[in-house]
Amino acid sequence: MSELLQVQGLNKWFGGLHAVKDVSFALQPGSITGVLGPNGAGKTTMFNLLTGFIAVDSGSVLFDGHSLTGLVPHRIVNCGLARTFQLARPFAGMSVVENVEVACLAPRVRKAGKPRERARALLDQVGLGRQAELDADVLPYGDLRRLEIARALATNPKLLLLDEPFAGLGGSEIGPLAELIRTLHESEGLSILIIEHKLREFMQLVHHVIAMDFGEVVAVGTPSEIVRHPRVIEAYLGTAQIDLELARHEGAGRA
Amino acid sequence: MRSQRILTIDWLGALLAFLLLAAIPLVFRSTYMLGVMTVALCYGMWAASWDFMSGLTGRENFGHSLFIGAGAYTAGFLNVNFGADPWWSLLAAPLVAVLFSLLMGFPTLRLRGPYFALAMLSASAVMQNLTIIFSAYTGGQDGLNGLFPMLDSVPAYYYLTLGFLAASAVLLRLLANSSWGVILRAIRGDEATCQAAGINVTFYKIASLMISAAVAGLGGALYAHYQLQVGPDLFAVILSINIIIMVYVGGIGSIYGPIGGAILLNALTESLRGLSEYRLWVYTVVLMIILFFLPQGLIAPLWRRVRSLFA
Repeated sequence: MSELLQVQGLNKWFGGLHAVKDVSFALQPGSITGVLGPNGAGKTTMFNLLTGFIAVDSGSVLFDGHSLTGLVPHRIVNCGLARTFQLARPFAGMSVVENVEVACLAPRVRKAGKPRERARALLDQVGLGRQAELDADVLPYGDLRRLEIARALATNPKLLLLDEPFAGLGGSEIGPLAELIRTLHESEGLSILIIEHKLREFMQLVHHVIAMDFGEVVAVGTPSEIVRHPRVIEAYLGTAQIDLELARHEGAGRA
Repeated sequence: MRSQRILTIDWLGALLAFLLLAAIPLVFRSTYMLGVMTVALCYGMWAASWDFMSGLTGRENFGHSLFIGAGAYTAGFLNVNFGADPWWSLLAAPLVAVLFSLLMGFPTLRLRGPYFALAMLSASAVMQNLTIIFSAYTGGQDGLNGLFPMLDSVPAYYYLTLGFLAASAVLLRLLANSSWGVILRAIRGDEATCQAAGINVTFYKIASLMISAAVAGLGGALYAHYQLQVGPDLFAVILSINIIIMVYVGGIGSIYGPIGGAILLNALTESLRGLSEYRLWVYTVVLMIILFFLPQGLIAPLWRRVRSLFA
């Protein structure tokens, strides 16, 4: 099998709520794949299942020849699957460079070079080189996102999971961050799985989309296939588009 | 580089502090005074070891006396009940304390929440009661008496204790400055992010508790062979609380600050002896003033101020 990640029949219940329902998909090495879906569709829960932060109820996750099912988070990271969090969580009271240094101390990369030097190089790579000595808690939101990415990159992942990297960012910050993600993919050959709501940037970035609703995968395809898929329109795009069309009609009527 | 220079100044400061402490027996001839200082140095070991685990990782330990008592009673049993040479205590006490840290750390440090703090608090209280219940072996309230001194001369024993304190402080501070310290401070920041960075958080917490326990147990044995007696009070919750106060007065997370805090508060207690029954009042008021006006503590922020004059 040449798949980098193979998810098979993944299930998670929270009490009576079936949060992730029989999710199966596969990722090819070197791809950027998006996970699309309305709030509560189970996207973040699925990320937490893949990264071991929540225990899987049933199903299997095969990554790069290892079974990840039942592994604790730090072991999964050391297999080469790293993540960022939706809400950036810097280590308070530590400098920006120390924040990245922590991840350079993970067993997987401990011998990859001097941790402090690697951390500095990674900060340069994500464009935070000049903020290295600042306290991490004073960084603006966009920079915290870059810090999150630098920390994930420090573990030298084969697959990077980004949980809503553009959430809460202003228009001027989104473009450069999307550019950074694209560069990481193109120059490092990094495979990326990304959850996002910002449709335009997102659709330009990804090769494939996995659309979810109510915990289920409802469609898989290229961005242009997905936006035309009836289940996706119904679940996610539909209401907004219909509202838009209604507004246009009403506006035209009045004119 | 500036950080290199700060490090050099720190070690020069530590050397100066060590020389000052080493000069005390030469300046003050009173045996009583040296005894007070020997006890203060033991408190210094307890406060520094508390700070290494709890100050750096933020996982408060409300029962540090468990390790102190374990070390002291190990010394007592070996020496009084088995007639072992007192020097064996220095090896056995840290080992027994580490054993206790494993028993406490494995079940509670994997969990988030207050379980570790509460388990430490109750375990030390339980041990205090066990020493009273099994009085046939432990001497009950009277404790174990008649431990042999390691060294006959009071100044010599002071120097021995100072040597162990200095060695522990250097070891703990080196670890805190190393990548180990970076990881412990990251655990204090956010455990989930630490795991996402590929760090085995549980391993670092348990290993740090073991190191903390070893130093506390060693301090307990040194204390026991100074007092030549061990009692249930060495397991007391109030001892743990006093140590935490010393850490906060000194400056949490700095290792050297809590040692200063321990010496300062021991000296304060001693100097207030003349006030007899008003002693606790004054002591408490002084503490409240320090913690109210200097929430970051006294010693560590003061040293940083001094250091910034040179760096």
